[in-house]
Amino acid sequence: MGKKTKLEAIDLDAYYGDFHALKSINIAMEEKAVTAFIGPSGCGKSTFLRTFNRMNDYIEGFRTEGQILIDNKDIYQKDVRVDELRKNVGMVFQKPNPFPKSIYENVVYGLKIQGVKKKSVLEEAAETSLRRAALWDEVKDKLHKSALALSGGQQQRLCIARALAISPSVLLMDEPASALDPISTAKVEELIYELKNDYTIVIVTHNMQQAGRVSDYTAFFYMGELVEFNKTKTMFTSPKDERTQNYITGRFG
Amino acid sequence: MPHIDVELERLKTKLLEMWDLVEYQLQSGREAMLNADQELAKLIVKRDKKVNQYDLKIDRMCENFFALFTPVAVDLRMVLAVLKINANLERIGDTAEGIARFVQKLDSPVDSQLLELTQVLPMYEEALAMFAECRVAFISNDPKLAKALIKRDKMLNKIYRKSDAVATKFMQENPNKISEALAILSIIKKLERVGDQVTNIAEEIIFYREAKFVKHKQDKKKKKD
Repeated sequence: MGKKTKLEAIDLDAYYGDFHALKSINIAMEEKAVTAFIGPSGCGKSTFLRTFNRMNDYIEGFRTEGQILIDNKDIYQKDVRVDELRKNVGMVFQKPNPFPKSIYENVVYGLKIQGVKKKSVLEEAAETSLRRAALWDEVKDKLHKSALALSGGQQQRLCIARALAISPSVLLMDEPASALDPISTAKVEELIYELKNDYTIVIVTHNMQQAGRVSDYTAFFYMGELVEFNKTKTMFTSPKDERTQNYITGRFG
Repeated sequence: MPHIDVELERLKTKLLEMWDLVEYQLQSGREAMLNADQELAKLIVKRDKKVNQYDLKIDRMCENFFALFTPVAVDLRMVLAVLKINANLERIGDTAEGIARFVQKLDSPVDSQLLELTQVLPMYEEALAMFAECRVAFISNDPKLAKALIKRDKMLNKIYRKSDAVATKFMQENPNKISEALAILSIIKKLERVGDQVTNIAEEIIFYREAKFVKHKQDKKKKKD
């Protein structure tokens, strides 16, 4: 690939109790690029995404074998503090989940938790993050109004702003536009395209065209295996594995 | 059958109908040339409108398919190939029409010596055979056959390259048959183009089946040499 590897999995296996959810995954994802995870429901793509900020740790019976590296450091080592890890690895979910607070409070929430108190620092972070999330112009006059009054698409961009406020270097997105209308989806996609200049982004999506539009690389998962990983252009024009071809052309099973 | 396959089959079927019509046009052109058959030539010119209708219809079907199915991978390559094959078939249709128009200028069947010297008949036979086999390669998804066809184009080029000198000599010896010789020369040029167009179609079949670009490979080789 030429560029620096940001995220990496080496011989990764993951289990929910007896269920073998991820099978010997090996992948290296480029820094400041967008990688899309695609595959049918239950194929392990979300599980894999969540291993990068250890979101699965809370699930009873979940365990991993192998390594997950961010900047060449194994994040499952004992000395890794999960709160520190999550400062570096932001996450956006399928459904917008703003806190029942003001727009401003939502954005600066993470910083406040970290102990930042200075108003000027918080205000500047709020503006920068909202601008980066392409939401500033729409909300600058109502920063102290409830975030719940925003539209679904605006709420999702607010969640992206909230994730950006703590200055992560990695952004994990689990179907970030699947609950949005086409206009909001286009805005989120446009945002992803711009954010990749500064962040390493991994996005799980069920929308093939979206994967094609926003990502540089695509990984296809099936039944816990990483079947194929390649440049998105190659994946959508001449995939090597027949299972990939069947999936992306909608002929699966 | 999944909906997308039903639509792809419709597209293929329409293309093959056009293919049959163009093949018939090309064969008729040969008959008309041999017999200086004015009536047949007229019919060929008239039937070219039908070829053009197929061209438009297939273009529109491809456009709709892109818009409604946003195809990827093998499906995308298939529709891209159909689009380009369609364009080449339409050109071959134009060639048949062009041959018919030259036939319309002939007063009597072409001088047998001229036919013999220029080798226009074996050239015509080869072009027709290549065209028919290309259809087989498309139907049977056979990139090997397509590759073999590309090589066969050399024979047409060879006859074409010699044709100028042969025709010039014939015209010098038969100054009363200059217009006839010029017509045959033009037909030879058109047949050479048919060879190129069949080559283009064969390249599309290889692209569709193997996701490989083979066009312009010859140019690169020549440059290296």
